[in-house]
Amino acid sequence: MDKRESMWDVYLRKGISRRSFLKGCAALTAMMGLSTDMLSEVVEAAEAKPLPVVIWLHGHECTGCDESFLRSASPLASDVVLNNIDLEYSHVLSAGSGEPFEAHLEETIQKYAGQYILAVEGAVSTKDNGIYCMTGGKPFVQTLQRVAKGAAAVIAYGTCATSGGIQAANPNPTGSSGISHFIGDKPLVNVPGCPPIPEVMTGVIMHVALFGKLPPLDGDGRPKQFYGNRIHDTCYRRPFFDAGLFAESYDDKGSKAGWCLYKLGCRGPETYNSCGNMRWYQGMSYPIQSGAPCIGCSNAHFWDEAPFSKRLPEYGPLGDIDKIGAGLAVATGVGVVAHGALSTIQKKKRQEAEQAEHDEKQVKK
Amino acid sequence: MKEVPRRIYYLFSPFLRIFHWVMVACILTLFVTGLFITKPVGLLATDPTSTMLTMDMIRSIHFLAAFIFCAVFILRIYGFIVNKGDRLFPRVWEGHFYSETIEVALHYMLLKPSHAPFLRNPLARMSYAGLYAMVFVEILTGFAMYFPTNMNSIGGTIFSWVNIALGGEFMTHLVHHYVAWFIIVFVIGHVYMVVRADFMEGEGEASSMISGIKILEHVPKDVNEIESRE
Repeated sequence: MDKRESMWDVYLRKGISRRSFLKGCAALTAMMGLSTDMLSEVVEAAEAKPLPVVIWLHGHECTGCDESFLRSASPLASDVVLNNIDLEYSHVLSAGSGEPFEAHLEETIQKYAGQYILAVEGAVSTKDNGIYCMTGGKPFVQTLQRVAKGAAAVIAYGTCATSGGIQAANPNPTGSSGISHFIGDKPLVNVPGCPPIPEVMTGVIMHVALFGKLPPLDGDGRPKQFYGNRIHDTCYRRPFFDAGLFAESYDDKGSKAGWCLYKLGCRGPETYNSCGNMRWYQGMSYPIQSGAPCIGCSNAHFWDEAPFSKRLPEYGPLGDIDKIGAGLAVATGVGVVAHGALSTIQKKKRQEAEQAEHDEKQVKK
Repeated sequence: MKEVPRRIYYLFSPFLRIFHWVMVACILTLFVTGLFITKPVGLLATDPTSTMLTMDMIRSIHFLAAFIFCAVFILRIYGFIVNKGDRLFPRVWEGHFYSETIEVALHYMLLKPSHAPFLRNPLARMSYAGLYAMVFVEILTGFAMYFPTNMNSIGGTIFSWVNIALGGEFMTHLVHHYVAWFIIVFVIGHVYMVVRADFMEGEGEASSMISGIKILEHVPKDVNEIESRE
């Protein structure tokens, strides 16, 4: 492929109408979380911009992010892979294998040096020279570093890639960590989640592909349009929280009535994601809607914040904070009373000493 | 009791005294509402049709108290600037501070019958510095949980780094809750030390936070901080 095709070229080649193309662009605009006045810019980009070359690497992970990606409905994952991006290398979705497949990776790196987008799923295993995660016969960390060198931008898909994932849970036997320290100074978009929402995955890659730049990011490197709100603030059960109506156990009347799951350990108040407004699988549901408290899967280190069914004050490495605090307060109270009693004795002694001194002076006079 | 001549020292400006009592009210309000927010009581609401938005109200009271607290802090800073008696910072840069602290500590450990007279004793000052450090942590972590409802707001921009630094917003909740209890432990110690000081020395320690004056028998060692020596 010498002249790289744009999205419009692909549509022409496949004989799809202009009308469908514009519809597709409108869908893309909405999916990327952009305002409708951006439509003309999206159309322009889709007509002129060559399809972005994407190398999709998989590291220390379960490929659950791919499972999620494949369930993207608008656009269909197949549309993204076949029509909207130029996917040159993917461990999971490729037909090729073995030597020719690896050779194709080398070819792609050289041919599109400095132009391709690198999407990474999975953590980097760092312990013992990275031998706990090998791809193509090499430690994954080496592959990642080599491919990242020529990338225009890097997208970290899933909490593994952004902060190490479940295999990084204490005591982290494989030394897993996020990819951010292994890609040099390349621009990075973090798309955390275990897995991320399908439309968020496609939305981020389309944004980078069409505009040639990263979406606006927050302090944690996450795209603001998808990670700008707390699940708690967008949750449809929030009114029950405000009203003080809580499910106390999984089978009580509150649970049946769909009340707030805060007291069952829901991490919604600390979790930034689009589950509350976009939901999963074409808006079908999301964990809280299914009656399960959020476990905060898009938070770094969520795996070490077990048990998921407990919030403060019961949660914590030292136990129930309110019990510890009340214990400290009582201990201080007891200490204070004892000290007070001893101080009374001290004062009495001091007064006696002073009196004796006074008397002595009187005698001397 | 024999009569002893005493001198009145004017110490605390109204700014410090107002701040102190508003701080007391705010800390107690924040603590109680905070406990309810972390662990809501099930009895507050039982039926969606007759609810009073209790949780929302408790949260609003918590936030209101927090903002009043921060606003009154500005008055306290003003008092700090205009009145020497309000400057309670431990003078750690002065050599004699350490020997004096040790002496006071020995007295509190009941190893010395009395300590040198002070208007504001060095150990107490250390505890206030500790309290302000805890309050500072509460303000930082509190706003770091409050503002990111809108990440793009000014507050969100200023405070969201706290959550990243602590390794996640859930940890921010944890720190906020622990420090709240440490402040209550401080309150118990503080109230006791004030009552004890009045009992032992009778220098008007407790009433000074209303009247602003202390009445001492001896010349206090830190008198040069509030009035220049002629």
